[in-house]
Amino acid sequence: MGVDRKAEEERLIALMIGYQKGSMDDFEGLYAALKQPLLRYLWTFVRNATMAEDLLQDTFLQIHRARQTYTPPRPVRPWVYAITRHVALMHLRSGRRRKEMLADDQLPEVPVPPEMEKFADKATLHRMLSELPHQSQEVLMLHHLLGMSFQEIGQILGIASGTAKVRSHRALKALRERLAEDQGGDA
Amino acid sequence: MNTELLPENLRRTISDDLAPVRPLPPAWMRTLYAVAVAAAGLAIVVAAFKLSLRPDFEQLPMWLSWGCTALQLVVGIVLVGMALREAVPGSGVPAGAVVLALSTGVVMQILVGIATWMHSPGMPLIKGHGLNAGVTCSTHDLALALPALAITLWLVFRALPLRPSIAGLLGGTGAAVTADAVNHILCPMSDLRHVLVWHTGMLFGLMLVGWVAGKLWERKRFGNA
Repeated sequence: MGVDRKAEEERLIALMIGYQKGSMDDFEGLYAALKQPLLRYLWTFVRNATMAEDLLQDTFLQIHRARQTYTPPRPVRPWVYAITRHVALMHLRSGRRRKEMLADDQLPEVPVPPEMEKFADKATLHRMLSELPHQSQEVLMLHHLLGMSFQEIGQILGIASGTAKVRSHRALKALRERLAEDQGGDA
Repeated sequence: MNTELLPENLRRTISDDLAPVRPLPPAWMRTLYAVAVAAAGLAIVVAAFKLSLRPDFEQLPMWLSWGCTALQLVVGIVLVGMALREAVPGSGVPAGAVVLALSTGVVMQILVGIATWMHSPGMPLIKGHGLNAGVTCSTHDLALALPALAITLWLVFRALPLRPSIAGLLGGTGAAVTADAVNHILCPMSDLRHVLVWHTGMLFGLMLVGWVAGKLWERKRFGNA
C-alpha cells in the first residue's frame, strides 16, 4: 500500500513536470489520475454530481493558470487539493450554490470511511456522514477515503497536522456515537 | 492515455495555452531574493535620507542596539518567508503559526521601544514639535519598509495565494518589522508616546496595507471575495 502510494505520487510528480514543460499528454494523464478523487472531494462541498463535474473543469482551469506555482519534487496532491478546495469554497461563497440535491442512488461513489462499513449499511453511513459538520466530513474524506496523511491534510486546509488528526478523531467518534444512537433507537 | 475522459472544451482551452512554464523556486529561495532586494532598498533609503545612528547609540547596551536589530531582522525575514510560503497552494501556514508570528513581530517592536526608553531617554520630545517628529519618523519607517513590502507582495501575488489577505498581512508585518529593526537604531527619540503612536502606529498601518492588498488582489483574481 505504502509502496503503491509512493509510486503513484512519483507518477503524479513526473506528469506535473511534463505538463509544466508543455506536454498535453501529461496533462491528460494528470486529469485521468485525479478526476475521480477530485470529483468525490468536490461532491462533499456541493452534494450534486453535475455541479461537481462543472467545478472539476473550473478546478483544472485554475490548475492550468497556476501550474508554475507547483515546485517539483513536492507532493502534487496537497497542491491540487488546495486549489480544488478553493474553487469549491469560492463557488459556495458566490451564492451560485444549487439547493436541490440528487437522490443517494444518483450520487457518485458514496464517501464512507471503509472501516466504518462494518458498523452499518452504506446508506445509513452515508446519511450519518452527511449530517456531520462539513469540516469533519472533509477530514474523514481526505484521510480515510483519499488516503492523505495528516501532514498533507494540514497543508491543504492550512492547519497544523495535529489539528487535522484531532478533527479526524472527533469526526469518527461522532460518527460512531450517532451509529450507536441509531442502532439503539432501532432496537 | 485515457484521453476520452477529458471534456473537449477543457482540452481545447488547455491546448491553446500550453506554453512551457518555469516552476516557482522554493519559498526559502524566494525569501533570499526578497531579502537581497529589501537590503539594497534599505541601503538606498538610508543614503537618500542621510540617516545616521542615533546620538545616544553608544549608551545603549549591545544586546539592545545591534542585538535587537538582528533579532527583529530575523523575525521580519521569517514573516516574509511565511508570506511567500502561504502564497503557494498546498503550503498553507497553520493559523496558530500565523497568530504567533504576527504577535511576536508586534510585541517585540513594543518591548524594544520600552527597553530603549528605560536605558536612554534619547532626544526629549519638545512640546509643539511632536507632530513634526512623528511625521518625519513615520516617513522614514515607510521609506525603509517600502522596498521589502513591494518585493514581498510582488512575489506573493505572482504565485497563487489562496488566502491572499493572510499572505498580505504576513508580508506587510514582515516589511514593517524589518524597517523598525533598522529605524530603532536611527530614530533619536525614546519617548514612549512617540514610539507607540508613530512607530507602532506605522507597524499596524503597514500590516493593514498588506491585508488590504491581499483583499484587493483576491477580488481582482477571483472576482467575488
